[in-house]
Amino acid sequence: MNADWTGGPDKLLEADQQRKDVARRFRNTQVPMIKLWTYYYGLGGDADEMSLDAYLNEALHLPAAQVGLIATAMRELSEGED
Amino acid sequence: MTAGEGQPFQEPDGQPLEDVEQSLQQLVLESPDIKGFLTELAILASSRLSTPGNSIHSGVTVMRHKRPKAVAASDAAAKALDELQNGFGQGPCLTALRQGTTLLVPELAAETRWGAYARAAARHGVSSILAVPLDLAGEAEAVLNLYSGRSNGFSAEDIATVEAFAAQAASSLRLILRISQLSEARDDLAAAMHSRTVIDMAVGAVMAQNRCDRETAFSILTRASNTRNIKLREVARTVITSISGEQKITAYFDE
Repeated sequence: MNADWTGGPDKLLEADQQRKDVARRFRNTQVPMIKLWTYYYGLGGDADEMSLDAYLNEALHLPAAQVGLIATAMRELSEGED
Repeated sequence: MTAGEGQPFQEPDGQPLEDVEQSLQQLVLESPDIKGFLTELAILASSRLSTPGNSIHSGVTVMRHKRPKAVAASDAAAKALDELQNGFGQGPCLTALRQGTTLLVPELAAETRWGAYARAAARHGVSSILAVPLDLAGEAEAVLNLYSGRSNGFSAEDIATVEAFAAQAASSLRLILRISQLSEARDDLAAAMHSRTVIDMAVGAVMAQNRCDRETAFSILTRASNTRNIKLREVARTVITSISGEQKITAYFDE
């Protein structure tokens, strides 16, 4: 599931920053990991729960398409709250 | 509850509270089953311990988002007392909750801890307090609070009785929590299966129409969802409806 970083060092730096932002947003929500994964899976996500966990702990990179779905899942889940 | 107003929420000892599973706490607060169960528990404890001349008020407080909330009570007076304490953010019941041990205040007037709360509770006619935490094995945090208008309102036998109550209630509650958690996970999974079916169909349709790969199809749908602020599965449903006129896509999912 690890992305192939052929885009050069700039691209990787950008992905690191994006991952950092997503991870921070996740820590600030009250959403449990399993709930986020289930929702992300429902959007068509392909990464397993452990990879998602690793991504949100900034230990693994995921392909851009998966990152987009994770961000979408978090946005839609937080819209559901309150 | 004028006494509690304007008081900032504060940790009496600045001790960090343990992180607990948020969804489970939410269940304790929102499930009518669990709320009913806790109300029964409070009423039972209150009627079992009350004697002529010493009526016991009982309530249950649950920690939610690291803040205490009074969820069930034997009567309005008990609920008011729990809310008073939660408003101050400190008191014997919250201390019992944090320490995980039974706490008895035999004589509130002689109490030096929880200064402002102790005085406010005394003004409400409370003289002794017994707080017994419910051991939910880290799934959530709850405490059974008992208030008496008399000094030394709780005998050693009373304390043993309440502790036995609390232990039994906690084991039932753990089971209820576990079942609720599983049924919620199942509902989430069923919703995910349905949503994924619709989205996968729409991705296929976009791929065929645009002669593009799956990743591109996903980003077209995601962009539409973002810019119009519509949920991705609604965008997908619109795509399918526009092609085939089908309004309802069902995915069979069962245990």
